[in-house]
Amino acid sequence: MSEPLLVLDNITKNYGAVEALRGVSFSIAKGEVIALLGDNGAGKSTLVKIISGGLEASSGNMQFEGRDFRPKSPSEAKAAGIETVYQDLSLCTNVDVVANFFMGRELTKKIMGINVLDEATMEAHVAKAMASAGTRIPSLRTKVEHLSGGQRQAIELNRFVHWGGKLVLLDEPFAALGVEQTKRGLEMIRQVAAQGIGVVIITHIMQQAFQVADRMVVIRQGVVAGDVPTKQTNADAVIGMITGETLSGAGPVAGVGEEQSGSRSEI
Amino acid sequence: MQPRQRRSLEFVLDNLVWFMLLAVLAIFSATIPNYFQPGIFANIIEQSSVLGVMSIGLALVIIAGHMDLSVESVAALSAMATGILFASSGIGMGITFTPGWLVVPASLLTGMAVGAVIGALNGYLVVKVKMNAFIVTLSSFIWVRGLVVAASGGRSAQNLADEVRFLAIQRFLGIPLTAYIAILCFAGFSFMMAKTRFGRHLLMIGGNEAAAFRAGIKVDKVLMIAFILSGTIAALAGWLLAIRTSGATANLGTGMLFNAFAAVVIGGVSLKGGVGALPGVYAGVLLLSSINTAINLMGLPAHYTQVIHGLLVLAAVLLDTLKQTIRKKLA
Repeated sequence: MSEPLLVLDNITKNYGAVEALRGVSFSIAKGEVIALLGDNGAGKSTLVKIISGGLEASSGNMQFEGRDFRPKSPSEAKAAGIETVYQDLSLCTNVDVVANFFMGRELTKKIMGINVLDEATMEAHVAKAMASAGTRIPSLRTKVEHLSGGQRQAIELNRFVHWGGKLVLLDEPFAALGVEQTKRGLEMIRQVAAQGIGVVIITHIMQQAFQVADRMVVIRQGVVAGDVPTKQTNADAVIGMITGETLSGAGPVAGVGEEQSGSRSEI
Repeated sequence: MQPRQRRSLEFVLDNLVWFMLLAVLAIFSATIPNYFQPGIFANIIEQSSVLGVMSIGLALVIIAGHMDLSVESVAALSAMATGILFASSGIGMGITFTPGWLVVPASLLTGMAVGAVIGALNGYLVVKVKMNAFIVTLSSFIWVRGLVVAASGGRSAQNLADEVRFLAIQRFLGIPLTAYIAILCFAGFSFMMAKTRFGRHLLMIGGNEAAAFRAGIKVDKVLMIAFILSGTIAALAGWLLAIRTSGATANLGTGMLFNAFAAVVIGGVSLKGGVGALPGVYAGVLLLSSINTAINLMGLPAHYTQVIHGLLVLAAVLLDTLKQTIRKKLA
C-alpha cells in the first residue's frame, strides 16, 4: 500500500454533552477507495464534514500529505485538494456543462482591456477531460437540467479530477440514481482512484461498497468498529460490525481472501 | 422528442418575448390607423428609455434570485436630488457651473451616488444581516419615497439647465439621445451578463446558491454588487426621467415599479432566479410601450392603461409558470 494521504488520529466531536465522535482513527492512501459505513447517527457525515472543513473537530489530529491539517472552512479544504460531493449535487442546472465545469474558476482572455470569458478554451478543456474519463455527453453546451443523473455525477467527478483534487469525499452520491447510472458512477470512482486520488464514499448499500471499495471502515457510536480490506470480509461480517453483533469484530473473516498482512483493526 | 425539435422549441421559449413583440407590432400596424409609421416607432423607443434602464437593475437582482422593489423610489429620489440641486425654478437651488456642461456629469454622479448608497444599504441588510430581500426592499420602496416627499415638501423643481435638457431634445435618426443611453446600457449590461465572470456568477447564484458557494464563488460579494448596481442603475433611470420632465415632482415615477416588474417578467426573466437575459427585458419594455402607444392612438381613456398593465403583470407571471411547465416536460 502506498504512502498515506490522510491520517485521522483520535478525532472527537462534541455537541455540548453529546459525543458524536469519540475518537476516530484511520488512514487513507493515495488511489485507495474507502467505504465509510455505519448506521444512521453513527457519525459518518460528521466525520466527512470535519475532513471537508464544514465542522471543526473537538480534539484529535489530522495529517494530510504528511502535514498537520485542520481546515476551518470548505474553501480551505478545497485549496488543500479535498473535494466533496454532496448527496444533493453541487451543480447549477440553469447553465451548461462547460460553465459548471469551470464554476468559480472561469478562464478569461483580455479583449480591449476587459476580461471576457474564454468559452472556446474552456470547452476544449472540458471536452478533453470528458474524453479522457470516457464520459460521453452529447453536447457540452447542453444545460445541465437536461442531463441524466449519471451524466451529472460524471461532470462532478470529472471536475474534481480535472482540478487536481487529491482526496474526494462522496456523501451518499448515488442516493438518487438508478441502477445503470449507479454502475457508471461506481466505474467513475474506480477511474478516479486509478489516477492516484483517494476516495472516501459513504453509502448505505452494502453491494455498492463491495463493488467499489478497497477497504471498509465501519463507524459505530462514534468510534471505528471495523477497518478491513474488502477482499478479507463479507457482507454478513460488515453488517455485524455496523449493528454491533460482532463486538470489535474488526479482523478478517476466516477463509475469505488470501492476504492477511494488509488487515488492521482499530477501536 | 427529436433534439432538433427540442432545440427549436427552446429557442422559441428563450426568445418568446421577441416573437410576441413582432406579433403585437404587426397586429397593431394592421388594425390601428396611423400606427405604422416611423414616428410612432421612434416614440415607442423614446418611451422605453427610462423604464428600460430601471428594468436592467431589477432584472440583475431577480436573475440572482433576489428582489429589489425599491427601484422606483430610488429613481424618484435621484430625480428629486437632481431637481433640487440643479433646477432653477420651484424648490430648485439652480446650482450652475462654468463651463455650463459640467452640470451633466455633476447631476449624473450625484444621482447615481444616491442610488448606490440605497443599493448598498439594501444589499447589506439582505446579504449580511440575512433579511428577506422582498421585505427589505419593500421597506426601502416606502421610506425612500417618503424621503422624496419630505425633501421636496410636496412641491416640485422645474427648469433644468439647457446643457442637460440637450440630451432629451437633441435627436439622432428621430430618436432622442436619452434613448441611446438606454440602448447603450442594455448593450453594456447584456455583455456583462453573457461574457464576464461576474455575469456568469450572478446567473449561477440564481440557479443554485449553495452550489456556487461550494464552488468557491464569493456569493456575498457578488450579491452585494448586484444590489448596488440595481440602486445605481435605478438612479440613472431617475436622472433620465428628471431630464425628460425638466425637473422633478414628489410623485414622479409612481407606478413604474410594476411596469418594470412586468417588463422583466415578460422579458423572460424567471422570478425563481437563474433564468433570463437582458435583451429579452428590453423587448419586454418595448412591448409595454407598444401597447401604451396603441391605447393612446385608439383614444381609450388613460384610466384603462392601468387596468391593462395590471392584467399584463398577471399574464406575465402566468406565462412564466407555463414556460416552466413546458421546460420541465422538455427536460
